[in-house]
Amino acid sequence: MDIKKVYLDKLKADIDRAYDTQLEKIQVIARMFGECMDNGGVVQLFGVRHGIEFVNELNYRAGGIAPFHKMNIGDLLIRHMCTKEEVYKTFEIYNRPEVYDQLTSMYVLDDRDLYVLVSERGNEPLVLRFAQEAKKRGQKIVAVVNKSYYDNCGGTLLDYADIWLDMQTECPDVAVDVDGIKVGQTGTTVTNIMAQMITGELYRYFIEKHGQAPVLLSANVKGADVHNNALTDPYGRRVR
Amino acid sequence: MTVDAKVFLDKIQSLLDHLYESQKDVIEETAQLMARCIENDGVVHVFGSGHSVGLAIDISLREGSLVPVHIIENADAVILGEFTLEEFTDKVNKFERRQGVAQYFYNLYDIRENDIFFVISNSGINGVGIDFAMLAKENGHKVIVITSMEHTLAEASRHPSGKKLYMLGDVVIDNCGPHGDALLPTNGIEKVCSVSSICNNAVAQMAAVRTVEILKEHGYNPPVLTGDEAHDRELKEHYKGRI
Repeated sequence: MDIKKVYLDKLKADIDRAYDTQLEKIQVIARMFGECMDNGGVVQLFGVRHGIEFVNELNYRAGGIAPFHKMNIGDLLIRHMCTKEEVYKTFEIYNRPEVYDQLTSMYVLDDRDLYVLVSERGNEPLVLRFAQEAKKRGQKIVAVVNKSYYDNCGGTLLDYADIWLDMQTECPDVAVDVDGIKVGQTGTTVTNIMAQMITGELYRYFIEKHGQAPVLLSANVKGADVHNNALTDPYGRRVR
Repeated sequence: MTVDAKVFLDKIQSLLDHLYESQKDVIEETAQLMARCIENDGVVHVFGSGHSVGLAIDISLREGSLVPVHIIENADAVILGEFTLEEFTDKVNKFERRQGVAQYFYNLYDIRENDIFFVISNSGINGVGIDFAMLAKENGHKVIVITSMEHTLAEASRHPSGKKLYMLGDVVIDNCGPHGDALLPTNGIEKVCSVSSICNNAVAQMAAVRTVEILKEHGYNPPVLTGDEAHDRELKEHYKGRI
């Protein structure tokens, strides 16, 4: 059988499983996002390692909803406050809880905001610091973890979460066995799909409640800049 | 039109089937190019603007991933290059729209003769991606393009040549996403739930697993991270400075 098809079938099965097991929570999370936004809040996103992809899938996306804001390690990189080695190779940056202070000092955060924290392992001191600080202020936390990794790594992020999603892949996340070599992953794509399911449910929330929804257009479509700026300008630096 | 998680699930599953059926041959060609590149000690460079770079993150840096994959990031102009933060974030003279950006990145990295390039752009109409593909071809590299054909055929090129990215690929993969990237129609003018990252990831993962299979068929030991610390360290060391 074509190994590309073997991979695709595995991916599709993982997507179905994610839907079957996570749908109820996806709907609750979408409602939490909608209520946060209705209350003048911004949904703050922070992802660790490949968790960044889930963040990117919600933040300022064509066909997505505003306002989300990404708290981005890249903002430290371009200020030479850390190195690519620490971010992409050793992942040492995530072991430094004080990075929280550096990052958050660059953003305009608000007590009405909600936090989404994405970490396969749920054990990195930096992501735990985000959770602890949000909890102290009484803000809602949505966690996204890969439970099989989380259990193996002694994660504690879920101790702080009001609700959480499971990325639903095995530990390690390897999709296909090629003659003894394990290769390919499905976890990120499955979480991207869960992010889009949240978007769909969030759209439904706004339509049912207000008859319209703050949907962003692709920047590569005529007129998108004007439309998108009208949605995000009211939040100023809170979303930039 | 109903929009919810179930509608998205059904549509994305159908789209993934269509993606495989319509693109399996060009994904096969891509895997053949990747395998040849790796056998010749080459590196696969990935250039994508905005969300397009997510594909490179998905197929690298973890267990089960090919090692010789290099992500070209705009921010490297500041992190590794000599651009200042102010120049990079200038809202008027936008960095990615400046003349010579592609050449700047080409010079910034250790790019070698047998390397190949993925250039990814959903719209395929913006200058820097088109410049990058042209430059890579001028320097004799194979170029694999991933784009949305529906989107790119609906919009005018923003490149002075009038060309679009798909015109420059040795292999062109259609990610089968719709114009504007959002999949689900609504009762209003807007559409919701984008698919390009999902489809791009699926394409790249299918190409990667097939690449490993081809390498095995050729008797070449595939450079894949296994989770074994010593093995993985040795592999990364081999490509040091290039990935």
